[in-house]
Amino acid sequence: MALPLALALAIGLAGLTFLIRATGSLLPEIPLAITRRTAGLAPALLAALVAIQLTGPNGIVRFDVKVPAVLIAAVLAALRMPFIVCVAAGGLTAALLRAFFHFS
Amino acid sequence: MPATRSARAILLSAAPIAFAVFVFGASFGVLALAVHLPGWTTALMSALVFAGSAQFAAVGVLAAGGGVVAAILAGVLLNLRFIATGIAVAPVLPGSRWRRALLAQLVIDESYALGTAAGVPGRPDRRTLLVTGVELYIAWIAGTTLGVLLGPVLGDPKRLGLDAAFPAGFVALLWPMLARPNAVRCAVAGIVIALVLAPFTPAGVPLAGAAVAGVWLSRSR
Repeated sequence: MALPLALALAIGLAGLTFLIRATGSLLPEIPLAITRRTAGLAPALLAALVAIQLTGPNGIVRFDVKVPAVLIAAVLAALRMPFIVCVAAGGLTAALLRAFFHFS
Repeated sequence: MPATRSARAILLSAAPIAFAVFVFGASFGVLALAVHLPGWTTALMSALVFAGSAQFAAVGVLAAGGGVVAAILAGVLLNLRFIATGIAVAPVLPGSRWRRALLAQLVIDESYALGTAAGVPGRPDRRTLLVTGVELYIAWIAGTTLGVLLGPVLGDPKRLGLDAAFPAGFVALLWPMLARPNAVRCAVAGIVIALVLAPFTPAGVPLAGAAVAGVWLSRSR
């Protein structure tokens, strides 16, 4: 990725995150009923990100090595394995399937 | 509960969590190389953003072919929950408005959880919040830097399966959250909406749709 774009990503995300964190601390009178709703953002977005990662360039789910990688990671996460173990197992699953079975 | 714990006791008690954050940072540093971010900008991002799942999401969007705007959008939407944690810690942050806004940058999920656990209902423990915030900030930057340095030694990202490591990481971040109220239906709706929108819309739209569903479905019943 070109340097200006990488810097735009780092600084853009940092600036907006700063404002978000400052908002809560400076305006504590925002109604709880509104802010409580942000609790649903993380699960909805992370689940959507998993789904998007499994789609091909046409936006439709593609059954490549990422699918078994995600399933392995989900099983390990359900077994309360540390984050790094889930990530490494997912990557390893994909790498092994590619190396030995020539999956895409 | 002791009235005031020494900074040293707080640091030591949070050390296992700091180690987990360090390892998370290292995996983020390695994975960011899959989208060819210059290494120092990855470390800079960790120093300025200090929000693991948001940074991970932003880089994951790039890895899936999205642009910078969609990547920032993904991170920002994930970080909106910090408005709620900011309000929760506001009563114990000291000083002027600027000082409070700066100190609020130390609030991440882990420091918030530790500060809340050490405090009383409605008043997180200020020392625990701030001391662990600094500790985890250092661990996050150090971990990212190690990952950035280690990445090129590991070799070709695709051969290592780093592209598959992104969805694996998102699943690992998601799973512990599913125990919270309403989380399962938010996650299911996020998947359905993202998959319906993905074939027809540019990268940020499915995520924005999932965010709307998450906000809508997390209302208390």
